[in-house]
Formats: sequence, structure tokens, C-alpha cells
Amino acid sequence: MQNQQEGKDKQKQITRRGFLKMMGGIGLTGITATIAGCSTDPAGGKGWMPQQYQVASSYPIQVKGRIPIDPNNPSITRDDKKCILCGQCIEVCQRVQTVYGYYELPIKNDITCVNCGQCTLWCPTAAITERDDIDKVVKALENKDLHVVVQTAPATRVGLGEEFGMAPGTFVEGKQVAALKQLGFDAVFDTNFSADLTIFEEGTELIKRISGDLHEPLPQFTSCSPGWVKFCEYYYPDLLPHMSTCKSPQQMLGALIKTYYAKEKGIKPEKIFSVSIMPCTAKKFEAARPEMNSSGKHAGKPQLKDVDVVLTTRELARLIKAKGMDLNNLPDKKYDSLMGEGTGAGLIFGATGGVMEAAIRSAYFLITKQDPPEALLNLTPIRGLQGCKEASVDIPGVGTVKVAVVHGLSNARPILEAVRKKEAPWHFIEFMCCPGGCISGGGQPRTSLPPSDEVRQARINSIYNADAHIYSKRKSYENQEVLALYEKFMENPNSHLAHELLHTHYTDRSKQLTVKKKNA
Amino acid sequence: MSKGVLVDLTKCVGCGSCTVACKLWNDNKWDDKNPTMGPSAKLTDKNWTVVQFKEVKDKKGEPVWRFVKQQCFHCKEPACASACFAKAFQKTKEGPVIYYPHLCVGCRYCMVACPFNVPKYQWEKAFPLVTKCMMCNTKVEKGEAPACVSVCPAGVFKFGDREELLKEAKSIIAKDSKYVKHIFGENEVGGTEWLYISDVPFDQLGFKTNVTKRSLPSYTEAYMHATPFVGITWGVILTGLYHYTKRRNQISKDNNKNIKA
Ligand code: SF4
Ligand code: SF4
Ligand code: SF4
Ligand code: SF4
Repeated sequence: MQNQQEGKDKQKQITRRGFLKMMGGIGLTGITATIAGCSTDPAGGKGWMPQQYQVASSYPIQVKGRIPIDPNNPSITRDDKKCILCGQCIEVCQRVQTVYGYYELPIKNDITCVNCGQCTLWCPTAAITERDDIDKVVKALENKDLHVVVQTAPATRVGLGEEFGMAPGTFVEGKQVAALKQLGFDAVFDTNFSADLTIFEEGTELIKRISGDLHEPLPQFTSCSPGWVKFCEYYYPDLLPHMSTCKSPQQMLGALIKTYYAKEKGIKPEKIFSVSIMPCTAKKFEAARPEMNSSGKHAGKPQLKDVDVVLTTRELARLIKAKGMDLNNLPDKKYDSLMGEGTGAGLIFGATGGVMEAAIRSAYFLITKQDPPEALLNLTPIRGLQGCKEASVDIPGVGTVKVAVVHGLSNARPILEAVRKKEAPWHFIEFMCCPGGCISGGGQPRTSLPPSDEVRQARINSIYNADAHIYSKRKSYENQEVLALYEKFMENPNSHLAHELLHTHYTDRSKQLTVKKKNA
Repeated sequence: MSKGVLVDLTKCVGCGSCTVACKLWNDNKWDDKNPTMGPSAKLTDKNWTVVQFKEVKDKKGEPVWRFVKQQCFHCKEPACASACFAKAFQKTKEGPVIYYPHLCVGCRYCMVACPFNVPKYQWEKAFPLVTKCMMCNTKVEKGEAPACVSVCPAGVFKFGDREELLKEAKSIIAKDSKYVKHIFGENEVGGTEWLYISDVPFDQLGFKTNVTKRSLPSYTEAYMHATPFVGITWGVILTGLYHYTKRRNQISKDNNKNIKA
């Protein structure tokens, strides 16, 4: 102990002069100490490198390096100290998402990233993680001046339990609500509500495109996956007119919390802090898009954001643990009313194919004014983990509607090329950025590395099980709170106010990169 | 024939794999005060290589991002080595300019002599040494690329015989008009083993473009006079030399190959 202290003191005192003096006189001990403790090898080279780099030459025969991450990336960040250069992040970004390596070098002025966070799921050391925004939420919760509202995405309720030792896919909807209430949120809403709302808005838009009332091209693309939207903005900006103008459910609910809810409750929008719990890291990017301030513009305060902070499922788990709570021991609680009701149709948004299936259930009703047949409530051809799925649905009065479902961005490319060549037979295509859909989003628990289809399937099964057996309503048009919203506030789907608050526009990002002609 | 590395700055995506590889292979600590990447990246005694972020204008005047990997250039005629009377710095026949800690007396002449300001001093240590990139000489001896070079996913580097690389660099910049017509390291300070090509003029990327084309050891005398160490008394120097000679003799008995001269 004493020696250590002495050493430290010495260290402090050593100046250049002191050192030279030491060399000259008393330095003998110092020098011998250096010699004694020192081999005669040159410096460096005593460390370690992963096996794949222990080869002669630098020819790229094996997985190499890692993805670049912009220090200002709103979604993901990396701790270099934990990185072991295993190359897994490149594998997923390049092969599964076809983002890295799909642009020419030199880069322009952007580090191309769709913010999906799949790399956070593949990184074996968790060097790459979501950007941690927990503190902002904790601060807001402690601020007595703020009314803090939270919404939870469909997919977090089949993931969160895994962080607390439960089996993959365990359905923890009620426990999640209980945890959020215990954390002190003033209102807990369900993104399933705005998923149902999306069906009205997007379904109406689709029908208008098909009928020719809206002069936008078919097929219509879904727009609720922000990673997919950014991918399209980068690589297929010419196809953006196909993109539904509907905001994602997160952003719809965000805009309504600071308008509709604020009005109903008599709270000033600037006093509301809006948080969302998402399975997705790209939602952080989405919420930060400059145009996502409809409620602010509506209130004449454009600096207000519709969603203030997005936490991933993993962040919520950390927050719950930090407060000493154990999800296992919480009693089930219910969402708050006004925007807490959700149907099975809204819930299945969390799985690949779900948006499409939900849309078909409602489209059938909106067009025929009749409940869809049982077969349309279990649209098996577009369920499951196959990369591209398709189905044709006969809707009386319209004819055969052809739909396709794609998840994982590598699967999107051939479909988009077909659309470009006008060889796509479909009316409506669901695109989800992440393999399996939101249930395997970049913010979900890291259950296996790399993420396995077993875990994905378990979460998907849980979602469809809840749709069929737990939820009492399975069709968006049965959502009473959505109907009330239209009656009291929004008038009807695609109304002027709906366009102001629930629809958006897109950005051509193709100038930020040079798309590779022949893809690797 | 000495080995070299050709660095094509137009291909760097700024992933920083090279900086991590250097830490892993050389077991260097992370420097909390000085990042290895970004606008304020800085070479330090722990950071033997860094990737500087530069926001510059391209030929069309459009803003572009470039990333510049920095490390020791491994000069053909290294000023650090000729300034080091203790022979702690030595140029190997394969190309790397390497440093033997056991020979170092801590005089830091190398730091003053280096035209690129590469060698760094371990200020925090009780018995500090000088540190810098070793060009992973133990790998290079075996014909393997340096650690940083081997990990780059973007094809920024080529490792091989310097003269071959120089030829290749010339043909690349002759064929492709995007490159500036300059190979940094071809002639700077008499030539370096690390060669750089770029589409943005080197001075805009923070390269020292005003260095002499002559090799530096011929200037060593002048450099010595310019050092802040002129005030050192002869006594100190001689004592230092005494210990140094003693160590050198002792060590050269054990391990002859370390001593060139
Ligand atoms: S977030 Fe997605 S797009 Fe961005 S680097 Fe990771 S895998 Fe690639
Ligand atoms: S996956 Fe993680 S550990 Fe592996 S190279 Fe990427 S950041 Fe590093
Ligand atoms: S050559 Fe070796 S020591 Fe030098 S920067 Fe590269 S990894 Fe580091
Ligand atoms: S590894 Fe290659 S691409 Fe990555 S920062 Fe280093 S030189 Fe650039």
C-alpha cells in the first residue's frame, strides 16, 4: 500500500528536469528497475487478434472489420473497448440488410445507415447498443411540471419478459403496463390503438389508389417501418410515390397525444412529454425527423416534437431493473382509456405479414360492409418466416386483390426491382425492415446470437395466439376508441385534419450516396 | 526490398476497425481523454494510430467527408533513428522503424526530430518510454500485413513491396482523374514506407505537405540545436551515456541482433 502511494507521488513529481536529474544521479535505481522489468523485444505485438486476421497478405478472404457508425447516429452507438472485430455487424448489415457495401466509395457526406439496429442484435459483446435515452425519461418523470405519457408498441409485450428470465415470446402485456404505471407515467397508451387507426387511414388510401380517386401509383407500399422507409429513401427514391403517406403508428399516436388527448384533458401540449417503448432502434431516428412535429405546428409551436423520447424494449428492461422492480411479480394492469384500446389486428402489426392481414380484414369490411369470412382471419399464406410471401384475396365489388409481404431488407430488393420494371403484379406490399418484423427489431432482447428463427417464431406465435384467443376484438373497425376519435376529432379517414396530423412526406436521400450499380 | 502500405483514402468509410486492431494486437490501453476516431482524434502514447474525421470540399465544391488514418510513416531514412544515440529506434530491412524500450534512455530527441510529430512520451508513467506505431514488425517479418491493414473491410490498404506499391499507386492516379496527382510518401522526407493517395488535396486533410523532400538525417545537427534540451549539462548527458553504454554492452551480449551499429 505504502509503496503504491510512494509510486504515485513520484509519478506526480516527475518532470522533465526531474527525470534527467534522476538519470544523472539517483536515477540508477530507476534505470535498473526499467532494465529488470523489461525484455529486449521491441515494443508492441504482445496482444491478440481474432483468428481470421492471422493470415499473410490482406486479401479479403474472410469476414473483415466492422460497420462504420456515425457518432451522431440517433439510434445506435458503439463502445470501441468492447469490440473484438468479429465482423458480425458487417455480416448482418451487408448480407441481411444490404445496406453496408451497397454504395460506391468514396462516401459522400453521410455514413449510410437505416438505423435498424440489427447489428446490435448480432454483436456478440454488445459493443453496439441502442443510444441510451433512459436519463431523459427519468428526468421527465421527476419533473412535476410535466405530464408524461407513454405508448407501447405491439411487439414489446412478447419480448420484454425475456429480459426477466421468461421464455421467448412470453406475453407480458399487463405486466408491462403495470411496470410503466409503477414507474410513474401519467398515462399508458397502446400503439395497437394507432395501428388500428393506421388501417383506416392506409386502407382508405389504398382504396382511393385502386379506384383512381388518388393519382398515385400502385402497388402501395406500407410505411410503418422507419428502417424500411429510410432504405427506400436512399436506394429507391424513384419509388417513393408508391409509399403510403401514412405515418407509422408511433408517430400517429405521438401527434394525437399532444392534440386530441391534450384537448380532451385540457392540458397544454407543451406540458406533455411523450415517450414510446419500441422494439426498434430506427424509431429513435423516426421520432427525430424534423417533420415529426405536427402537433407542434398544430399548436403554433413548431419546436414541439410529437414523440419526445423513444426507449427500446431493452432500455425499458434496464429502467425497470434500475428501479428494483421485478416484472415477474407485477400484477396485470390495463391500458388507460381514450387511446388504450387495441384489437388483434393492431397487435399483429408486430409480426411480419401482420399489417397486411389486418388491412385485409378491414378492407373487406370497408368495401363490402360485411364481416370478413373466417379464412381472412387466419391468412396463413402471409404468415411465417419465409422472406417473401404473397396472397390473392377476393373482395366482392373489387375483385382479386394481390398482396405481397417482405421482411428483411435483402428480400425487398428483388421486389423493388420488379416494381421498377413495372413487372409487379401486386396492389399492396408490406415491407418490414427487420427479419420477422418488429418482434425481432433491433431494440428487442438479445436472446440468441445471432438471432435465431426459433426465438422469432416463438414471439410470432405468441402474437397470433393473443390475436386469436386473448383479444376480444380482431378487426380494427371494431375499435371503439378509434371510432370515437373520428367522431369527436378527426371526422373521417383521410380528412383534412387527418392529413395534417397522421400523414407525412418523404425525403430523397439518394444524393447522400452513390448507389452501387452491380451489387456485391 | 522493403515492405510498405498503400493507403487509398478515397475508400475509407471511417469504421475504425484499424484503430481497434492496433489496440488489440499491441495491447495498448484506451485513452479516455483522447479518442481514436473523429474530429478530435489524436495520436498519443496509447493511440498508435487514429482515424481523423475531416469535412472538406471536393473538386466540385460539394461538402464531403473524408477519414484519414494516421500512424508512423516509417521513413526510409528515419530522423528519429538518427537522432537516437541510444539506438532505441532502428530501421529494419523489412521497412518498419521499430523501437526497443530497453535501449531507450528517455531523452526524447526522437520526438523532436520526427517531422510528422509521431513518437509520443508516456508522461503519466514513473519511468516513461517513448511509443509509436511499429508497423507490426513481428507480423511483417512473417510476411503478414500489419494488424490494422489486415482488418480493413473497405479495401483501403494494400500491403506489399514498397516499390511495387509505388508503381501501382502511379498507375491508379494516372488512370483515374478523381485522384490528386500526388503520392504522399513517395518523396516526402526522402520517402516513406506508407504511401497515401487521395481525391482531396493532402494539405486539406491535415498532412504536412511542407516537409522537405530531402532525407532528414542530414539535418540532424540542426535539429539538435533547435531542441529545448540544449541546457542539459554535460554531466547529466555523460552519466546518461555511461548507463546507456553499460546497458548496451550488457544487452548486446545477451541478444546481439538488437544492435545494428
Ligand atoms: S443499424 Fe442497420 S443499417 Fe445501420 S449499421 Fe446497423 S445493421 Fe446496418
Ligand atoms: S459485431 Fe460487435 S464486436 Fe463484432 S466487429 Fe461489430 S462491433 Fe465489433
Ligand atoms: S502498423 Fe501495427 S502498430 Fe502501426 S498502426 Fe498499424 S496496427 Fe498499429
Ligand atoms: S479499417 Fe479501413 S475503412 Fe475502417 S477506418 Fe480503418 S482504413 Fe478506414
